[in-house]
Amino acid sequence: MSHVTCIELIAFLDSYVDDELDAETRVSFDLHLLVCPSCRAYLASYRETIELVRGTAEKEEELAHDAPPELIEAMKKVRK
Amino acid sequence: MLADDGYLIERLRNGDEVAFEELVEHHAAPLLAVTRRILRDEEEARDAVQETFVAAFRGIGEFNSESRVSTWLHRIAVNCALMKLRIRARREKDVDALLPAFEADGHQQQSSVGWTETAEEILQREQARALVRRCIDQLPEPYRIVLVLRDIEQLPADVVAEKLQITRDNLKVKLHRARQALRTLLDPHMRGAL
Repeated sequence: MSHVTCIELIAFLDSYVDDELDAETRVSFDLHLLVCPSCRAYLASYRETIELVRGTAEKEEELAHDAPPELIEAMKKVRK
Repeated sequence: MLADDGYLIERLRNGDEVAFEELVEHHAAPLLAVTRRILRDEEEARDAVQETFVAAFRGIGEFNSESRVSTWLHRIAVNCALMKLRIRARREKDVDALLPAFEADGHQQQSSVGWTETAEEILQREQARALVRRCIDQLPEPYRIVLVLRDIEQLPADVVAEKLQITRDNLKVKLHRARQALRTLLDPHMRGAL
C-alpha cells in the first residue's frame, strides 16, 4: 500500500469526501489521517465549508417568503 | 407531477389569467433567491425572474407532465441567469493564492487548525451567514458559479458541465478548488468565535 502525503490527500479530498476512491486508496488516506492532525483539521473544515455553503442558502430560502410587490405586479402585466 | 401542478398547468394552457397570477405569486420569491445567488445584482436578478415567467408561459406546451412545476421553473431561471452572466463576460481569475501551500516533502506549509464551532451552530447567527455569503462573493467568477450551481442549487454534474460548456473533469477540479479557496477565506473567522 502506497504512502500518502498531505499534498496527495488534499488534492483528492473531494473524491474522499464523496466516497469515490477505490478501497485501497481510501485505506491509505485513512491511515494518513490517523497520524496527521493537520490533515484531520483540514478535512473537518472542508466538510464544514460545504455545510456552511448549503446551510446559508437554505436559510436564505426560508427567509425569502415574499418577492417585492412591484416585481409581482410587473410580472402579472407581462402576461396581459 | 403533483395533482395541484396538473390542475394549474391545465388552466395555464387554457389561458387562465388567474392561474398565471397564482404561478407568479407562488414561485417568484424562491426563483428570485436563485437568480440573486447566481447574478449578485438585484436588477439583473429581477430581470431574470421576469424572463423566466415569460419563457415559462411561452413554453407551457413543452412542459413535461412528469416534472414538478417548481423544478421546471428552476431550470428556466438558472438558464436565464446564466445567459446574463455570459453576457457580462467577466474576466477569468484564478484562485491559486487561496489554495494550501506545501513543502517539498509534501507536508502542508502551515498546519491546519480545527474550527471552534460546527456549521450548524454558526448558521444560527445572521451575522455569520452574511460573512459566509460575503466570502462566497469574493471567489473569482468561474469558481463562484460552480459552487453556486453544484453545492447550493445542487444541479447534477453533467447538467452543470453542459451549461458552463466545460468537461466533467474540469468541473470537478473547479469545484474542489472553489471549496478550498472558500475554506481559506473562512478560516481566520472560524478559528475564533464569530
